[in-house]
Amino acid sequence: MDVMTKPARRTAPASRLVRAELRWIFRRPRTLAVLGLLALIPVIMGIALTVADPTAASSGGPPGNDGGNLLPAAAASVLVLPIAALTMTLQMLLPLAAAMSGADALAGETSTGTLRGWLLAPVGRAKLLLVKALGVATFTLAAAAVIAATGILTALVINGDGTLSTLSGTTLSIPDAVGRVALAVGWVTLQLWAVGAIALAISAFTEHPMVVLASVLGGVIVFTVLGSLDALSWLHPFLLTEVWWSLVDVLRDPVPAADLIDGGLKAACYLAIGLSLAYARLVSKDG
Amino acid sequence: MTAHAEPVVAGPSQQEGPALAARTRGLRKTYGRTVAVDHVDLDVPEGAVLGMLGPNGSGKTTTIRMLLGLVQPTEGEVQLLGHTMPERAGDALPDVGALVEGPGFHPFLSGRENLLRLAAAEPRLTAAGIPPAVDDALERVGLSRAGGRRYRGYSLGMKQRLGLAGALLVPRRLVVLDEPTNGLDPAGTREIRSVIADLHHDGVTVLVSSHLLAEVEATCTHVAVLNEGALVAQGDLTELLESESAGLEVSTTDVTAAVEALRAAHLAARPTPDGVRVELTRAAAPDVIATLVGAGVPVYEARRSRTGLEDLFARLTQDSEEAPTWTS
Repeated sequence: MDVMTKPARRTAPASRLVRAELRWIFRRPRTLAVLGLLALIPVIMGIALTVADPTAASSGGPPGNDGGNLLPAAAASVLVLPIAALTMTLQMLLPLAAAMSGADALAGETSTGTLRGWLLAPVGRAKLLLVKALGVATFTLAAAAVIAATGILTALVINGDGTLSTLSGTTLSIPDAVGRVALAVGWVTLQLWAVGAIALAISAFTEHPMVVLASVLGGVIVFTVLGSLDALSWLHPFLLTEVWWSLVDVLRDPVPAADLIDGGLKAACYLAIGLSLAYARLVSKDG
Repeated sequence: MTAHAEPVVAGPSQQEGPALAARTRGLRKTYGRTVAVDHVDLDVPEGAVLGMLGPNGSGKTTTIRMLLGLVQPTEGEVQLLGHTMPERAGDALPDVGALVEGPGFHPFLSGRENLLRLAAAEPRLTAAGIPPAVDDALERVGLSRAGGRRYRGYSLGMKQRLGLAGALLVPRRLVVLDEPTNGLDPAGTREIRSVIADLHHDGVTVLVSSHLLAEVEATCTHVAVLNEGALVAQGDLTELLESESAGLEVSTTDVTAAVEALRAAHLAARPTPDGVRVELTRAAAPDVIATLVGAGVPVYEARRSRTGLEDLFARLTQDSEEAPTWTS
């Protein structure tokens, strides 16, 4: 039980705040609806694959990447569907989910007047950002994990013999395959943390969650367009979205790590910048 | 609209009066060119129930937000329970309960869940102490039964009460209530009044802002009047009202003798239905009574005549150009 008399605390323990934050996030109907819809995506992809002619589906995905080969390959290997689903959703839907989480965390709480309650308790602003960032991080991890999980389940259903073949033609052991999926989930989550950190920064500047959603989504679209313009190739190393198709590399044997590492470092930079901006704004913000 | 350039008074006033639960000196806040709060020297004596009055847009809420460290002042200093704000918020705020700018809660959670979330951030509560503290607070504002219902379905009055419960999760030294009776029916208003009376009885300092003058007159021991961002009056409510109308109502059966005795002492007096009314411009109340008793006039009752807070407020806030700035 409790320690009898402690010196009067100046602020509540961070672990308690994180628990309260997670309870708030996962009690929210919207959060559950988004996770549910994301979970459906691999299922829909799986159904589409079994119904559609595999050769017709090969036109999907941008040229130059292996997106085009992914969907047909998913019919032949359990390993491919979860990775394909993560790759597809990472282009738009998962960043949208991360933005939603970041928007609710600060802008949403400001607009309902609930952020003030914690500031008055008091919760220091650095600690507040830490708790909010952990909340966004947990939610994005859950979003990526849910897609991977239903992806694996769907793949097992439509691919009864459980082949674990890679795009390179080799076959993986079960632990190795699990490792590949975990790697993909971790890598996607890191990308989403980068998006979430930027969302948090915008979220600290506004009290309208819609502004955050629109900015992040607009940013993703603009980055994608910029990435497709060869004349702007000097800009491409700075675009986070440029690396997002390299997740397919997880399906090769051996894994070509260069692009994945490059993407991870980029995400870490965006993460650091986003959190710094969010912190700078939050400490001077009127509550 | 000119800025006051008076130096900030720091030392002496602190020792003279009673201890102050909150105190501002030279407090000023500007948003661009708009001056929201202008050189406010507010004193909230410990144990007082201070009513903060002012028309809409007079700077009440901004002042409160600066007191609580939510807003950084442009100039001036704020002391809350003896700690400088906003730097020492961690020392002051655990003992302060506040309901600012209306209740803020999540519509998809129940009232109780909302309070649990708020209580998780209260430094004074242990993990095990949170649920009982929440239940106590709900009971205190009469929401025990509605605690399990979603906040979305609450009436305006229930929302307001839940906000009050949030301010009362932990025993406080200072409770700050910004327009607590907004949206409440008369019964709800009475309940808030009784909560404030209980807090006052327990020695808790209460700062309540309101535009309902009758409300303030009924519950407060002190008032502070803001107008256009400036503090135009503050002090003990009774003293403020008395200093406004210097008159003494004396009940007597012998009106003629009373008037004669007073006129002989050069005191202005006129008969009223049950006695005389004496202007206290030249003499204090005890002198008047001594004069009357000395002349053998039977005095049954003597009391200071009071104008209402409404008159005082109207005079202080109507034409701000000429309103005198005074404190008592």
